[in-house]
Amino acid sequence: MNTRSNSAGKKELGEVIVITSGKGGVGKTTTTASLGAALALRGQRVLVIDADIGLRNLDVILGLENRIVFNLVDVAKKLCKPGQAIIKSKKSPNLFLLPASQTDDKDVVDEAEVRFVLDQFRREFHYILVDSPAGIEQGFRNACAGADSAIVVTTPEVSAIRDADRVVGLLSSKGIEARLIINRIDFEMVRRGDMLSVKDVQDILGIEIIGVVERDEDIIKAANVGEPVVYNQKSKAGPAFTRIASRLCGEPIPIPSFDGGSLWSRITRKLGVNA
Amino acid sequence: MFSALKKKLFGESNESKETAKSRLHFVLVQDRTGLTNEEMAGFREEMVKVIERYFVIDKEGFDIKYHRLADTTTLLINSPVIVRRSSTAAAAAARAATSQEPANTETPTPEPVASNV
Repeated sequence: MNTRSNSAGKKELGEVIVITSGKGGVGKTTTTASLGAALALRGQRVLVIDADIGLRNLDVILGLENRIVFNLVDVAKKLCKPGQAIIKSKKSPNLFLLPASQTDDKDVVDEAEVRFVLDQFRREFHYILVDSPAGIEQGFRNACAGADSAIVVTTPEVSAIRDADRVVGLLSSKGIEARLIINRIDFEMVRRGDMLSVKDVQDILGIEIIGVVERDEDIIKAANVGEPVVYNQKSKAGPAFTRIASRLCGEPIPIPSFDGGSLWSRITRKLGVNA
Repeated sequence: MFSALKKKLFGESNESKETAKSRLHFVLVQDRTGLTNEEMAGFREEMVKVIERYFVIDKEGFDIKYHRLADTTTLLINSPVIVRRSSTAAAAAARAATSQEPANTETPTPEPVASNV
C-alpha cells in the first residue's frame, strides 16, 4: 500500500499544503483531519496544524482535545520546544497535531512566525497540512505563509463556490497553486438537476479537482467520536479521502463523476441525448 | 439517466442548478473584474451598442463571461448574431462612431432589434 513511502522518505523537506475555502462550514477541518489520517495510513509522516487561532477544532475532530499542553502560538513565540507542542494521534503513530491556541486572537502571530514554525517541522514530516480559518483576513494569510500548494474545499453551492473563487484568486496572486475538493456532493440531486455537477464546478472555477466527497452521515458520527472518517472504509467519505491522499502521493486515480463520466451517460451522449 | 431522456423528450426542465449557474456567472464576473453593478451594466450596454452598429443581435442571448484558467484570464463576449446590417448602414454607423462631432442622434441604428429575424 505504501510503496511510495520509501521514495518519499528520502525527501529532505516536507510538503506544506494549506487547506482553505473562504467560506466557513464547508469541511476544511474534516478534510485536514481525514487527509492527514489517510496519508499517515499510507506510511507518510504527517503533521496537521490548526491555524484557526481562537477557534480551534482540529483537536476535537482528531479526538486529542484532552492532551493539549502547548500550541502553535507557544512554538511561534519560542515558549516551548517544537517537539513539546505536537501531539501524537491515538490511531496512528505517523500522525501528529500542532493545535491552535484557544485564548489568543488571529493576529497574535504574523506570517514570518508561521514560516518559522513550519521550518521547525519540515524536516521531520513528509506532509504538513495547515487547516486555515474561514475568511480572507490575517488568519488566512498566516495559514498560507510558507505553503507549497493549497487545497481549496468547496461544496456545490453558489455561496461556497463564490468564496472559493475569491480564495483561488488570492492564492494565485501569492503564487500558490490550488487544487479543489468538492465536498458534500449528492449525486442523486445532481442527476435531478438540483445540484451543480463536478463538471459544472470545474467549468466555473477552472482549477484542477483533486477529489470529490459525497455527503455522508458517517462524517458526523466520526466527528462525534473523534476518529477521522478514513478509519471507516465502509462509509462513502472514508474511501473518498483515501483516494485523495493517493492522488496527493501521485497515483493517477480518476475522479468519479456520476454526472458526466459514467458509461451510461457516455452512451446517451453518443445517442445525442443531452445528459 | 432517465432524467436525461425525459429532458430530451419533454424539453428543458426547471432545473434549479441552471439558475445557480447563471447567478454564479453574474457574481463571479463582478468579483473577478472588480466592477460594480452599475459599471458592469454600463459596460454591457456599451458593448451591445457597438455590436449593434454592425449586426442585428439577439440581446437576450448576449452574455459576458470572465473566464479564468490556470494562468490566463479571458473576457468572453457571446453575442448571437441574427443578421448582418446592410453595408451602407454599417458604413454610416462606422462613420458616425469615428466622427469627432458630439452625440450624433441620427445614428442609423434602429432601436428595436428583436423584430428582425
